[in-house]
Amino acid sequence: MKYLSNMTKGISIALDRIAGIFIVLVMVLVVSNIILRAVFNSPLKGTYEVVGLFTAVAVSLGLSYCAFQNGHIAVSFILQRFPKKFQSMIIMLTDIISFIFWGLAAWNLVRYAGVMHKNGLVTATSEIPIYPFVYVIALGFFALCLVIINKRIEAIREVVTKISKSGFLEMLNSESARKETI
Amino acid sequence: MNLLLIGFIGIIVFFVLIALRMPIAFAMAFVGFIGFSILTSFSAGMDMVVKDLFGNFSSYSLSVIAMFVWMGFLAYHSGIGTHLYIFAYKMIGHLPGGLAIATQGACAVFGAICGSNTATAATMGAIALPEMRKYKYDRSLATASIAAGGVLGVMIPPSVIFIVYGMATEQSVGKLFMAGIFPGILMMLLYMVTIFIMTSRNPELGPSGPKSSWKERIDALRGGLVEALIIFFLSIGGLFAGWFTPTEAGAVGAGGVLVISLLERRLNWEKLKKSLSDTTRTTAMIMLMIAGAIIFGRFMAISRIPFEVANWAGSLPFPPFVVLGIILAIYLVLGCFLDALALVLLTTPIFFPVVVDTLGYDPIWFGVIMVLVVAMGVITPPVGMNVYIIKGVAPDIPLEDIFKGIWPFLFALVICIILLIIFPQIATFLPDYFA
Repeated sequence: MKYLSNMTKGISIALDRIAGIFIVLVMVLVVSNIILRAVFNSPLKGTYEVVGLFTAVAVSLGLSYCAFQNGHIAVSFILQRFPKKFQSMIIMLTDIISFIFWGLAAWNLVRYAGVMHKNGLVTATSEIPIYPFVYVIALGFFALCLVIINKRIEAIREVVTKISKSGFLEMLNSESARKETI
Repeated sequence: MNLLLIGFIGIIVFFVLIALRMPIAFAMAFVGFIGFSILTSFSAGMDMVVKDLFGNFSSYSLSVIAMFVWMGFLAYHSGIGTHLYIFAYKMIGHLPGGLAIATQGACAVFGAICGSNTATAATMGAIALPEMRKYKYDRSLATASIAAGGVLGVMIPPSVIFIVYGMATEQSVGKLFMAGIFPGILMMLLYMVTIFIMTSRNPELGPSGPKSSWKERIDALRGGLVEALIIFFLSIGGLFAGWFTPTEAGAVGAGGVLVISLLERRLNWEKLKKSLSDTTRTTAMIMLMIAGAIIFGRFMAISRIPFEVANWAGSLPFPPFVVLGIILAIYLVLGCFLDALALVLLTTPIFFPVVVDTLGYDPIWFGVIMVLVVAMGVITPPVGMNVYIIKGVAPDIPLEDIFKGIWPFLFALVICIILLIIFPQIATFLPDYFA
């Protein structure tokens, strides 16, 4: 279990680093294009398309580490008013919904990329194949699913550990155990 | 089943899910997908989700967000904010309430190179709060003035909220940026007057700091103000002059802050890495929220809710400003619970047609009003994002104390909105002039 947790963290950080590199690449590409256009009157062909595709890589590869750091904004003050046990049940439910939904989206992105590959779809000016970028977006969403499920497993694992260590009744009375399930 | 009824059930389910702490972007995309699928078919729904995710993530016009977000985080990590604040307080720190007034000036200039209210509040919170505490400022005034001043970051261009509003309503980002300048300055002045009046009536709220010599003041010009102005004129000036697209302006701005910070040795490898990690996190969050809002918007569109709401509002027997007032009141209430971006993304498809097409208000002007109303949302309880950020900087100050200090600034914002309704030219003058 610890292995899964470390692996998830490692994968999301690695993807986030790649996303950061693509942010730098977008900046360098856009600025180079401006300079070439202004000084040599010869802009880079297809900059708009490449900037779009690189941004897509940066965004999708940043999704999982964002989720890992709880960066996707949520409204927590309403649920906080309910008992801890109820809270953990609800979060489990919404996480399962999120997991299935984004998993489905990722799987369909893979299929979409496959169709693009088969049809040989390329960008209009620079004629770059689009499908590899769609695969990367799908990868970003699969990693997001991994983070979502890992967070839940972590929470369950902590409860299970508490039960095995201190017995079920004690666990029910232990505020900290319940807190950690959230 | 009735289209409208399904649409309304969708809205209710959405609110239930976000109340249950599902991330807002997830809830919008999920409900949008389910609603769209019910009204069409499952495969059409999935097809729409996949194409919208790819289409938005890879859109050139949305790449502007990543660039301006990075520019803001580079400015945040490079310490430009510190120098801006030092200059401002050397100029007016000796006046009663001078440190809090200086904070507003520093927030406004920092806002010219940073497009986020939270980054502005965090920057100034870390710099200005320790100073105000040193001079025994009232802690409610000190914290609330920074939380409120942070909003100048999104009013004065660049502004992530204007970009998102521009995308959602197909308005020019350049024009929106221009429209934000004078209202931003007005907001800053109103905040300054508010602090001045408060500290004049009760000097203990903000005791005077030491007076600086003119030599010290001129020395303090370098390191912050000059750099910020150069970057602003290069990036936003280039956008206004029509040299750059918004993405190019963002890239030039980010590149400019990066080069200046590296030349002045303010940015090491660690800080650069941190700025990129903050950027990828924030950009991923914003872009997923935009994609979610677009998916939700497609469901709303086929349920005909925006169309019916616009029709209904048009048939109301009230003058337009009353309807506008009602809409603003709805924003204020929602703003207390929803994040600023989510609020803009979620409500624009529904209220924009009413305000602009039915009531006939200027779309750029409405963008400015929207930012002002959203600004009130980020400093009001229970979900006042900026207040939580200040609380993060000063964990020992109770939240109640910060919220208590917010009232005068909320009042200043209300006056700002009223002035903009009476004199819309404050916002529309610059875009009209450049057009």
